[in-house]
Amino acid sequence: MPKKPQYDEPLFAELPEWADVKPVEQYEGVNPVAPIFYTPEYTDATNYFRAIVQSGEKSARVLDLTENIIRQNPAHYSAWQYRYETLIALLPTPTPSSHPLLTAEVELMDELAVLFLKTYQVWHHRRLLVQITREPQRELAFIKKGLEADSKNYHTWSYRQWILGFFGGKGSISKDGDEEIDEDLWASELDFVDVLLANDVRNNSAWHHRFFVVWACGVREGEEDRDRVLKRELIYSKQSISLAPSNPSAWNYLRGILTHTHTPFPLVSTFAQAYAYPRDPQASDKQREIVDLENPLPSDTAELPCAEAMEFLADAWESEGGQDKIEAAVKMWTSLANERDVMRKKYWEHRIRDAHVALRGELKKKAA
Amino acid sequence: MTDQIAQLPRLSRVAHAAHCKRCLSGALLLLFDLAAGLSDRRRCIKAINRLLIVFLRTLRLTVGSLSNNRLALAFYCIGSLDLLGVLDEHIPGSDRDEWRAWLWEQQTRGKYGSGFRPSPFMTGERQSNNDLPADYTDYDTPHIIMTYTALLSLAILRDDFSRLDRPGLLKFLRACQRSDGSFSTVPGSNESDLRTLYCAFAISSMLNDWSGVDVPRAVSFIATCRTYEGGYGQSPFCEAQGGTTYIAVASLSLASAGAGRVDYTMTPSERQVTISWLLRNQDSSGGFCGRTGKDADACYCFWCGAALQILGAGELVDSDKLAAFLARCQFKYGGISKAPGENPDPYHTYLSLAALSMYTPSIHKAGDNMESWKFKPLDPLLNAREDTASWIREHVPAKLA
Repeated sequence: MPKKPQYDEPLFAELPEWADVKPVEQYEGVNPVAPIFYTPEYTDATNYFRAIVQSGEKSARVLDLTENIIRQNPAHYSAWQYRYETLIALLPTPTPSSHPLLTAEVELMDELAVLFLKTYQVWHHRRLLVQITREPQRELAFIKKGLEADSKNYHTWSYRQWILGFFGGKGSISKDGDEEIDEDLWASELDFVDVLLANDVRNNSAWHHRFFVVWACGVREGEEDRDRVLKRELIYSKQSISLAPSNPSAWNYLRGILTHTHTPFPLVSTFAQAYAYPRDPQASDKQREIVDLENPLPSDTAELPCAEAMEFLADAWESEGGQDKIEAAVKMWTSLANERDVMRKKYWEHRIRDAHVALRGELKKKAA
Repeated sequence: MTDQIAQLPRLSRVAHAAHCKRCLSGALLLLFDLAAGLSDRRRCIKAINRLLIVFLRTLRLTVGSLSNNRLALAFYCIGSLDLLGVLDEHIPGSDRDEWRAWLWEQQTRGKYGSGFRPSPFMTGERQSNNDLPADYTDYDTPHIIMTYTALLSLAILRDDFSRLDRPGLLKFLRACQRSDGSFSTVPGSNESDLRTLYCAFAISSMLNDWSGVDVPRAVSFIATCRTYEGGYGQSPFCEAQGGTTYIAVASLSLASAGAGRVDYTMTPSERQVTISWLLRNQDSSGGFCGRTGKDADACYCFWCGAALQILGAGELVDSDKLAAFLARCQFKYGGISKAPGENPDPYHTYLSLAALSMYTPSIHKAGDNMESWKFKPLDPLLNAREDTASWIREHVPAKLA
């Protein structure tokens, strides 16, 4: 159970072990804009904190005091900063990662991260700590639990990407100061993403993480053959789309890997085509029975056409150029503007205008 | 489809102004002034119960994140009144003088230069009783986000900036920049991300002096935050997000306009992908979401909407649907919330009004209520009314001797 500040807990002003400190009230000066009503508990604790900062004391009781303030106001960045410095002052150098003070701090952070999930300071403090403990694996396990409870939390994801980049990315420095990339850290990242996407194929944070792991932060061991990796990822995104066609996250990923690897969009046109038109009732069962792993078909219940596929196909055609392709793209955009994605009508009309301008230019060039 | 025909309700300008005024003068007043305004007893009790919940939440916030964020809260309140064009009406000259005095009191000096702190939350009573305030300590330094906010607030209050320590401010920016090009919130802290970089750029632009920042290094940091989706994440490797995308787009544009005639903006194909990603964030509710697949939130109507304006693609947004979404986010006793049915706060109120300052619904949509939806134009780069931005350009830079 998380500890909450209890109203029957004594104030610092009432504690004999704090009797030697003279509390310092907050300066208010001229009429305060946007006055804040502090509780007596908060006023009490921060009065003692200001006194401690003035005296420069860095002792075990300062850890109690700053914890008390942080529990009342996790965004109090000065309390976090002073807490960190106190901790450093109390720890021996070099610090064994099993030092009880450090272990206790990490455990406290496990609790506070859950209590104050959306507070920046909680995560920054943690980054400082893990640079002392140098136990990134423990952090990955901790984050995994956090993401099970809230699978799209931005702070949690950022922290995971930071951990992987810091300890497993280019230029990572080992405890002894040598350059050393911890490849083991990455071992189960893709499985981790697979589980999250199996639970929710629309989880954009998981898709983003997939891109980070496969493409954005170096090349993993065993993934040196990039053509093979691209092929695998193309199949992965296409299969995800076949499960849920109107999933912008999967389409964005598909576009992302094509652009990243300089692969022309038209390479995927055949796949997109099956999703960009209303279902064809005439299509024979035989046709549908042919299983093409490279181009999985939409399920029988999928809602077609899918706007993302239409947009993709039009982009692919536009990139090919030539009057026929551009006209086909314009037809697609017109359908998006008037039927399938009316919200972005002005955008599709803008694309049509741009394409017409480009086409006229092309034709003029030919004529000349 | 009915939504397209349905006329917009009024934008409750008076109530939103009152909400901000209440937040400025203290949350407690909220209860009393609303109870007094309701005649029917049963309705009154119901409203008070509802407000008690709002109030208790406000109080929890109060003890929590707001105490060292007071300046930001003040900015959203003052800024809202400015956007609504009622600052003069609501705030008599003497009150403004007090506000300015309070804001200037947050400008502190010390070894990292000068800037503004969020509030005197770390300043002890005895320390500042002398006539000359002491230099700040390492735990009471200026804060870069608060400095940006304070400059904007002072401009809204039409301060002449004669008290601004310009050389100190440049020194402070230098103290905040880190080796990777990013900026920390306070000197020496490891808390840094794109938000702080934008503040450093906005301050440099306001001063019309970029000597406090290493622009190429900072711009390369922005590039590391770009993602395959076309948006920007908060830090390198992070997921694309509407707020940080605004910040990246605005920063690149500010630097291109001010820092030595170098074009730092994105390539045409990057721009195209970014515009398309931003536009796709407007979902069927009419509001914008901050990340692909998330629910719409009033604040992203500003962040995504302003980024699109800066990229020259503002006319591609469906303004009528945007206004319809924000109309549903209005709380009936004033203030705008992040989504329909949530509790209002000055942050979402300000950003919604700022979004409406760029995106006016059509007369066809607003009908008789059109007047209530009209705003003076906004400068999306500095996030202030255009005349406030002009005031900044005129008064914040050092005067040539």
